[in-house]
Amino acid sequence: MERLADRYASRAVRSVFICTREAHPGENYRHHRSMDDKRRNARAFREHSKLRRQILLDDLEGSAHRAYGLLPNMTWIVGRGGLIYYKSAWTSDADVANALEGALDFQANRAKNQWVAFYSERIAWSTRDQARFREGLVRAGPQAVADYERMLQASGASRDAPSPDVGPRVPGNFYKTEEESEKK
Amino acid sequence: MDHRQYNYSEFVVSPNEFLEFAQHAPKVTMRAPSFPLEDLATGKTVEMKELWKDGITVIEFGSFT
Repeated sequence: MERLADRYASRAVRSVFICTREAHPGENYRHHRSMDDKRRNARAFREHSKLRRQILLDDLEGSAHRAYGLLPNMTWIVGRGGLIYYKSAWTSDADVANALEGALDFQANRAKNQWVAFYSERIAWSTRDQARFREGLVRAGPQAVADYERMLQASGASRDAPSPDVGPRVPGNFYKTEEESEKK
Repeated sequence: MDHRQYNYSEFVVSPNEFLEFAQHAPKVTMRAPSFPLEDLATGKTVEMKELWKDGITVIEFGSFT
């Protein structure tokens, strides 16, 4: 996302990172008990990930995070004046870039082409770098690794695909088969 | 939800959180809600609506872990 932010900055797109609660707290980076905890972890994150984007801290209660849906790594695109152009449950550089191109085109040409905005939903795809994700859990500490393993076992989140059209049921994929949909 | 509930000390997934995001979080074509945030670099308060006052803004939410 840093490279994407650099690429679109020249087209007057601003990119920011909002720090939420710790998604996978561990012994090395614990949950926040104060704003100082939040600042400390945010600075460590900035240094480790070499973030150049503006970093903004939500309050300790997560007011902004909760209002926007509470997911751990979501991305939103907001147009001039506050119109929401895009919301995504996960962050994918390619998907954000695709949405930005559409948003910039709309912003530049809507008057000329007499375009009218309308609501639309779609599914998006991305790859998951599981090795990198695991590195993050290990960095956070043994508790973060154990908590995640426990979640996988309890939720069955990595079950096989329910049909050839749908990928494994990772978090974010709430597809149900016809049989499952009929069960109340 | 107070800050202790929000900042959980052990990760426990909420089974419906993604469905709730799809159904109940603000939708595209709606107006983005604005909240005061703290700029890590300066310590100053930034209102979210200031971010999109002049143009398109990409907002990524996340944490170190």
